Amino acid sequence: MSGMVHITCKQAHRLLSERLDRPLGPGERWRLWLHLRFCDMCSRVGRQMDFLRASVRRLDK
Amino acid sequence: MAAGEIERQLAALRPSLLAIARLQLRNDAWAEDVVSETMIAALEGAERFAAQSQVKTWVVGILKHKIIDQFRRARREVSTDAEVEAAEVETFDELFLEDGHRANMPAEWGNPESSFERSQFFEVLQACVDQLPASLGRIFMMREWLDYETAQICKELGITSTNCFVMLYRARMRLRECLEMNWFGAQGHT
Repeated sequence: MSGMVHITCKQAHRLLSERLDRPLGPGERWRLWLHLRFCDMCSRVGRQMDFLRASVRRLDK
Repeated sequence: MAAGEIERQLAALRPSLLAIARLQLRNDAWAEDVVSETMIAALEGAERFAAQSQVKTWVVGILKHKIIDQFRRARREVSTDAEVEAAEVETFDELFLEDGHRANMPAEWGNPESSFERSQFFEVLQACVDQLPASLGRIFMMREWLDYETAQICKELGITSTNCFVMLYRARMRLRECLEMNWFGAQGHT
């Protein structure tokens, strides 16, 4: 999918999760950024995934 | 710190340590063992404990080490579970249309950080993590609570990095959904 600029929400969701586990490559970052610029749904899910991480880190506080 | 005082504090911490050990290990007997080992190590090390730091932070640090030791002891069983779980296919079809676009708008969570002030939020979060299949829960907690790098997780569990990323994705998707249903969309919130 290296030549593809547009990714689907499904692919964006995967990248939103994977960005928390590994550094995304430049192409992935670019495609995700483009997608999020126009997709409120995925932007929202991305913030929620970040929130999930912050929450679990507080479980033992 | 006086010996009696540290014992009292450790006893008070035991239930919450046990809860988080269960969540991470997904095996009650292992959780009991690591918490007991943690208690002993804490009592033995009480003299060296610097009074200016938080007892809980210090004890949680010990617990994490004991949990890592337990995972190593039970490596075979834990890695078999992970391989079985990695073979599961979960497509989240209800969330996406055939062309891969999202079928509906995820709920607005407002200012979710305000939930940190509410202890019920953490009860709901624990229940959501507990509802994950055991291996998804373990791997998610390894990543987010034990703060393992994914390469370490792959090594400990004997799974590929691709499987590791997919399992973490599945765990996050389920947890997001669970919080939305049981906290952000429910009466408990606002």
